[in-house]
Amino acid sequence: MSDLKKKTFVVTRFDPDKDQVPKTQSYEIPCRPEWKVLDALNYIKDEVDGTLSHRWSCRMAVCGSCGMMVNGEPKLTCKTALSDYGDHVEIGPLANFPVIRDLVVELEGFMEKFKAVKPWIIRAKEAAPEEGPYRQTPEELAAFKQFSMCINCMLCYSACPVVAQEPDFLGPAAAALGHRYDMDSRDEGAEERNAVFRGDGTIFHCSYANECSEVCPKNVDPAAAINQAKLLAVLDWAKGFVVPRKGAK
Amino acid sequence: MAQPANPHAMAPSRPGRTRTAPPMKPGNWPSSTRYRTYLAFDFTGVIYLLAGFAVLGAARAFAKGPEAWSALLASYRSPLWLLFHALALASVVFVGVRFFGLFPKAQPARIGPAKPPPRPLLHAMLYAAWIGATVLLCAILGGAIL
Repeated sequence: MSDLKKKTFVVTRFDPDKDQVPKTQSYEIPCRPEWKVLDALNYIKDEVDGTLSHRWSCRMAVCGSCGMMVNGEPKLTCKTALSDYGDHVEIGPLANFPVIRDLVVELEGFMEKFKAVKPWIIRAKEAAPEEGPYRQTPEELAAFKQFSMCINCMLCYSACPVVAQEPDFLGPAAAALGHRYDMDSRDEGAEERNAVFRGDGTIFHCSYANECSEVCPKNVDPAAAINQAKLLAVLDWAKGFVVPRKGAK
Repeated sequence: MAQPANPHAMAPSRPGRTRTAPPMKPGNWPSSTRYRTYLAFDFTGVIYLLAGFAVLGAARAFAKGPEAWSALLASYRSPLWLLFHALALASVVFVGVRFFGLFPKAQPARIGPAKPPPRPLLHAMLYAAWIGATVLLCAILGGAIL
């Protein structure tokens, strides 16, 4: 037990039935050197204060559930080593999101933005099952693979200065996902998505702060995706003056 | 200390049944070097606005005649003008370096059949174009050509 070290955790608390605004609560707990921030939160929940609410699931940076603010910066708490911090650690809910309770944020707005970019393969005409799967070369896969690694942890939304100011902004992960499908050789829906990208409050509001890419735990680089999508959306818009759009009379 | 974000940031189009606390901005922004760099990048727009007015003033002096133009050139020797031009030069270099750093990754892997050059080559080409344009402009202004 000699390798346990006490650390103080200042955790944001909010009970919608009692509190008008969030408050903080301090917990001093013994921590093992190999612990991640999530381990400390689970210890508090299990051993100290069972009323604390937080989301987590896989504990291996795959599910994207445990994103929180650690000392003011968005982090996946299952991937963030406690040893990187001093004796005083502040943990809050993801910034730029409404808070439902303690460290749990409202996801519905995020899901609406996701649906807006039509994140599925769109085909002008679906092939019959007996024709087999849509084939793709490794090179064609490489064009979008990086953007398909997103785990929807929402850290990028928490870090984005435009999300903080403009509620209509599509945001990094949704735009990166839309671009991922635009770059997919099996997809034929780029025209539809580019119309979404060019709409009010969408990708052209991105000011390329690059914060989303800095905090992304999977190196998806949403800032690159958004700015690539900007170029393709402009080219698609210009093409519309030369080549009639599908469905146009 | 975190500041409030837009109260509607990331809110669903229809409010849920549970009352929520309003969103806050990240608490690390005021102290974050990355974020300060981003703000400095944006702030250079103010420098360019002022530089734009200075160019308009120069054009006006040029239109008025040789005396006004000479007076303008003489005024450029004042410490305030020298400081402003040094600041403008620093802004241009800062923006150029940051933009050139971010530009290569903003190129799609392909545009139709066309592919951009590899990122390091693209990076080098940007600097070559910048230095080339600067040398050409200096040569023209210095009277070496034209």
